[in-house]
Amino acid sequence: MKQGKWKARGRLGPGAMYHMMMLPGILFLLVFSYVPMVGIITAFQDYIPAKGMFGSEFVGLKHFMYMFKLPDIAQVVSNTLVIAIGKILLGTMMAIIFSVLLNEIRIKYVKKSVQTIVYLPHFLSWVVLASVVVNMFSLDGIVNQMLAFFGLENINFLGSNTWFQPLIIGTDVWKEFGYSSIVYLAAITSIDPGLYEAAGMDGASWWRKVWHITLPGMLPIILLMGVMSLTNILSAGFDQVYNLYNPVVYESGDILDTYVYRIGLVGRQYSFGTAVGLFKSVIGIVLLMSANQLAKKYTDRKIF
Amino acid sequence: MRTKWSIKSKRVTKRLAVLSMSALMVAALAACGDSSNPPTAEEAGKYEVTPGDPFSAYKDEITVTMGRVTTANPKLPAGDTYENNAYTRLVKDTFNAQITDQFEANGEDYSRQVSLAIASGELPDMMRVDSKDELKELVDNDLIEDLTSIYDQYATDNIKQMYDSYDGRALDNATIDGRLMGLPATSLDSAPTMVWVRQDWLDLLGIQLDADGDGAISLNEVEQTALEFLKRDPGQSGNPVGIPFVNTMNTTDYNGSAYTMLGVASTEGAFPQYWMNGEDGKIVYGSTTEETKKMLGTMADWFKNGIIDPQFGTRTFDDITALYANGQSGIAFGPWHIPDWGLISAKQMDKNAKFSAYTLEDANGKVNVAHANPSNQFIVVRKGYEHPELAVKILNLFYDKLANDKDAATTMPEAAKYQETGVDGSTRPFNIEVNSATSLLDDYSDVVRGIKGEISLDEVRTTESKNNIGSIKTYLSDMDTDDVTAWSKYHSRINGVGLIDKLTQENKFVWMTPAFSGTTPSMKQTWANLTKLEQESFIKIVTGSEPLDYFDTFVSNWKKQGGDQVIQEIEDEIASKNKHP
Repeated sequence: MKQGKWKARGRLGPGAMYHMMMLPGILFLLVFSYVPMVGIITAFQDYIPAKGMFGSEFVGLKHFMYMFKLPDIAQVVSNTLVIAIGKILLGTMMAIIFSVLLNEIRIKYVKKSVQTIVYLPHFLSWVVLASVVVNMFSLDGIVNQMLAFFGLENINFLGSNTWFQPLIIGTDVWKEFGYSSIVYLAAITSIDPGLYEAAGMDGASWWRKVWHITLPGMLPIILLMGVMSLTNILSAGFDQVYNLYNPVVYESGDILDTYVYRIGLVGRQYSFGTAVGLFKSVIGIVLLMSANQLAKKYTDRKIF
Repeated sequence: MRTKWSIKSKRVTKRLAVLSMSALMVAALAACGDSSNPPTAEEAGKYEVTPGDPFSAYKDEITVTMGRVTTANPKLPAGDTYENNAYTRLVKDTFNAQITDQFEANGEDYSRQVSLAIASGELPDMMRVDSKDELKELVDNDLIEDLTSIYDQYATDNIKQMYDSYDGRALDNATIDGRLMGLPATSLDSAPTMVWVRQDWLDLLGIQLDADGDGAISLNEVEQTALEFLKRDPGQSGNPVGIPFVNTMNTTDYNGSAYTMLGVASTEGAFPQYWMNGEDGKIVYGSTTEETKKMLGTMADWFKNGIIDPQFGTRTFDDITALYANGQSGIAFGPWHIPDWGLISAKQMDKNAKFSAYTLEDANGKVNVAHANPSNQFIVVRKGYEHPELAVKILNLFYDKLANDKDAATTMPEAAKYQETGVDGSTRPFNIEVNSATSLLDDYSDVVRGIKGEISLDEVRTTESKNNIGSIKTYLSDMDTDDVTAWSKYHSRINGVGLIDKLTQENKFVWMTPAFSGTTPSMKQTWANLTKLEQESFIKIVTGSEPLDYFDTFVSNWKKQGGDQVIQEIEDEIASKNKHP
């Protein structure tokens, strides 16, 4: 019996070696992703650093109640959703269209250089890009000079509650669509060229080929990316908004992260900040799960 | 009596600490926080040569670890460091106390170090904290020593006089629950917000501002000048801007008041963001008064007429400074020292730039001023450090003895040499300033008499003033000099402080003493939200997206969202203070 057990283990031998290679990754995950989760406790406490997590007083849902009682919370959540959904929808559409079009370019070096150029902004941080955006869209910036040239009225983009959200969404799409198109380009290359040949034989136009072969071929990836991005639906992009907004556009531009930064962290309300963070994560999980179920129901594809 | 009790209580504390730690009942510690007492002569005698003396040395060498605020470019002689220089050696020689630095950092990094130290509970024996909030947090966490009786016992008369010159507000600020929890730095008072106007533009356009020459101008004069500048664009930028303001609108910190509307507000007798005594004896929040509403009315009119920068609210501090450098704007609201770090950029870009300083007067020709928050920096001592009195002794050494000793060159040659050669004051153990409330004008008088040759350089009180005299003489001998330092020192010390001196002598100021400066328990949770509400509402009114009467909505929202409770807490706090003075 004893021997048998040992044997059974022995048989796992070769596989175990590979599993051992996962160990650093698992450790990394444990140390940096799971252990810190203990800190969630602080969301239910009046956390005082010197007393630590186990010494601070438990206050139940106090911080969550305060969060929902804050007068601006509805507005902040709706700003977050509008900006995040806008970014996801427009960003995905742009990336898909761009990758389909780029795929049609046959001259290799043109394709490569176009690709490189649209990737570029992804690698710049918002701290840098914000000053570019501010320069372009301020009252005496190039955009307003162009508007004036066409006889249109000047718009204070950064100080207008009507224009701030479109500006945020637009500039984010501009920054990211190139980079996120990489995945879609990869998806396109995995489509069997035979399908295109067959369609060509049947007299399909370019548009028909895209509609009936390219897009369905990309669908699993599109779904995957869409579902994954839903987890971030309450993270509308702290760096971007923080670097571009100002008190004039708090009304339309304040998102959960910036709000928490000002209300929670600048005022050293650690517990409150944690509570909001936890709230965001819970919403993220719920959305991820339901999107996954919906995806299974309507397209019979799941990501897990 | 008291001594006996203290010894007993210390023993109890110890036992409790052991108990509670073993039971992980850390919360119990806070209950016995008030156990620190001055060393009795007997206790001190164990360490000190002359127990209780403000300058006495320790028998055996002691060590003290510090959190040090450094600056980017101190002019230290080769070989010297923050940790080991003439000043730290002076502490070693005088007190037999060796300073080592637990951390050195500046700016944001320093705040982060302090936050880390608080969060981890591993404090250096002494360090500077930069806000009342931090001080309060340290007290709440029971991390620092009560310095009340140590201060009484050890501080020299000069030091006490300097603090007292602020009518008690300096020490008050560092006092929590009747206990002095830190040694406050002082920030100078007696200064209104000024309006700095490009004098070379006024000359160019032939505008005569301040016809009666009293240094104070009316809102109307500012308005007319701004309109002229806008219309005729003397800077030839092609894109002139009237008066730019930052979106924080206001601040109770005079030294941070550049580009704010403090000046406009005070002409209406408004003091937004200050806690004031109302007519009925109740506490009033300055931002909710009728006077503030009037100020916003004026501002809204100005915005409509294009006098206020159309991008008001979206400009950062740097953007605004750039407007002056570009010659787009020639009117700046700010403190007396704004030429040294803000307007200087205009001189760098345009050799001809010159500014005149004015202040704003109200309808009765008076200048309304609020007493500044006397201190935002504190030296604190770690709870449990054996020689808390050393903090007061170091204070004595640098801010009394070294500052006032006329014979320093012989008694403290090395430190005196530092002062002479202008080695940065940040290299002292404590990077704070402690001066009497009147030192701004005292220094001014030194500078003026120094320039006129009425006193010799040796009679000038501070090294800084000595250097300023040199710079200003350079400027006076050549007003078109390329020496921007000479330009800025002349503008800040002569134009700026000079105006304050003149107005003080003419008795033009009407002072408002704030009723309260600090935070209350519920502010910790609601204040950030209330500030946001205030800022947003004010900007909406000024930019015209809401009518002036929206102010009343703001006031009622402000009260509902926690303002009333804060006022109640402040009144309670003041009442309890009056009961136990």
